[in-house]
Amino acid sequence: MKEILFAGLGGQGILTSGLVISQIAVSKDLNATWIPQYGAAMRGGTANCTVKFGNDMVYNPAQEEPDILLAMNNPSFQKFVGMVAPGGTVVIDSGLVTCDTDVRDDITVIGVPSSEMAIEMGHAKGANIIMVGVIAKVSGDITEEDGISGMNEMFRKKGKSKFEELNTKAFKLGYNFKK
Amino acid sequence: MEDMIKGNHAFAEAAIRAGATFYAGYPITPSSEIMEYLSVRLPEIGGVFIQAESEGASMNILTGASASGVRCFTASSSVGMTLKQEGISHMADSYLPFLAINVVRYGTGLGTLDTGQSDYLRDTRGGGSGDYRTFVLSPYSLQEAVELIGHGFDLGDKYGMGTILHTEAALGQMMEPCTFPEMKKVERRHGSIDGTYSFERISPLYRDRRQEAIDEKAKYDSIKENEQMWAEESLEDAEYVIVAYGLAGRSATGAVKQLRNEGYKVGLIRPITLWPFPEKAFDKVNKDVKGYISVEENATGQMVEDIALTLKKTIQSSKPVYMFANAFGIPTMKKIKADFISVRNGEIKEVY
Repeated sequence: MKEILFAGLGGQGILTSGLVISQIAVSKDLNATWIPQYGAAMRGGTANCTVKFGNDMVYNPAQEEPDILLAMNNPSFQKFVGMVAPGGTVVIDSGLVTCDTDVRDDITVIGVPSSEMAIEMGHAKGANIIMVGVIAKVSGDITEEDGISGMNEMFRKKGKSKFEELNTKAFKLGYNFKK
Repeated sequence: MEDMIKGNHAFAEAAIRAGATFYAGYPITPSSEIMEYLSVRLPEIGGVFIQAESEGASMNILTGASASGVRCFTASSSVGMTLKQEGISHMADSYLPFLAINVVRYGTGLGTLDTGQSDYLRDTRGGGSGDYRTFVLSPYSLQEAVELIGHGFDLGDKYGMGTILHTEAALGQMMEPCTFPEMKKVERRHGSIDGTYSFERISPLYRDRRQEAIDEKAKYDSIKENEQMWAEESLEDAEYVIVAYGLAGRSATGAVKQLRNEGYKVGLIRPITLWPFPEKAFDKVNKDVKGYISVEENATGQMVEDIALTLKKTIQSSKPVYMFANAFGIPTMKKIKADFISVRNGEIKEVY
């Protein structure tokens, strides 16, 4: 079972990133849950969601000990880095997370300049999809093909297939990102 | 496998699949997506969707719908459910079935927006004035919620009673896949108002309330005998039994599996009907059990009282009942395991 915590600023597409990963897992016949932090949230405030997936039933759908943390701003990194399981991975937007990230010896931190990469590829809103690609790769459970088809199917069903080409490109950029 | 779907949307769709064609309610976080979904979906199937001017009014509207024999429902959250109690009590007095989905948010009064199980006592004791109960069903997954919503409507029709789907903010807000049954067509209940005075009208002045009181007791006894539902794990040799419902019960299911793998003899009772409380589950527990542990999502402990009352009826009446209240959030498996160990090590004092 994998536990992934997606955290950032409201409006960055954090909740959507989590949903895409969970839907990719479901399209592979795995069990999956997605649970948001909700409440008096606003655009520009903090947002996070937890996704769990695996062969077995997901018991507690809420945060226990994430294997992977996506942090898209400083407060998210600082708030959640302590929760990450030993041996876990933290993926950060290296342009947005500017605080000291060398805080634990037992985790791996991967910096991805996803916001800059998104602007470069002409899809400024696609940073979250680039990160979906990174996380799909890091999780070790999702192939590039399964990831792309699961993601595109989800957006197609939501009537948002017009971004398919850009999303596919963004996912590939993330999946094949090299430090 | 099916797609991810949000809990509140799944509840709403499940009611429609179960043949409900009438909804009246008033929005409140964290249940509002139920109404949002229905505002589009009910007109699609030729049903009626009403956003009432208040929670109280929504129950009065449901009273009319149910008296007309229509499968009807409402939804709200904790403090909103408080405002519906007058109507719920009146409907109980007229034996009118309805389904109310309570997406519980933690807290007293206005409360908070966080998930919780703070309405256990209110919902299982009737809630409004008078001497009645409603069925109270609590799911631990969206799939179970879908099934319980259909079952809840059927129970209501069978016994002439209301049903509350007692769930939590977290289940309403989370997503996971679930499958829905085919659309069910439900005929209007026999004997309901049809506009032509087909059935005898009974004025409140001429009701035989003494006989009704006797009949009500017999009905509730029959329900307690026949309608208990629960899930259980490893009760036969359990040294300790954890009791938890809803998402706390789901987390406890995982914790108990892990504890078993680690060699601890621990069992689980997960009540699915909170009323009637699944007393029969306790008959199946190892007679040498050392104690019970209630795991709840509130501050003061509520279900712990029903566990202690149930034990009075068994040969285990002297067994201690411990309680861990987890306000603000679903208790993690890690926390439940740690709490169990502290009970086992004698570090915790029993509640009863």
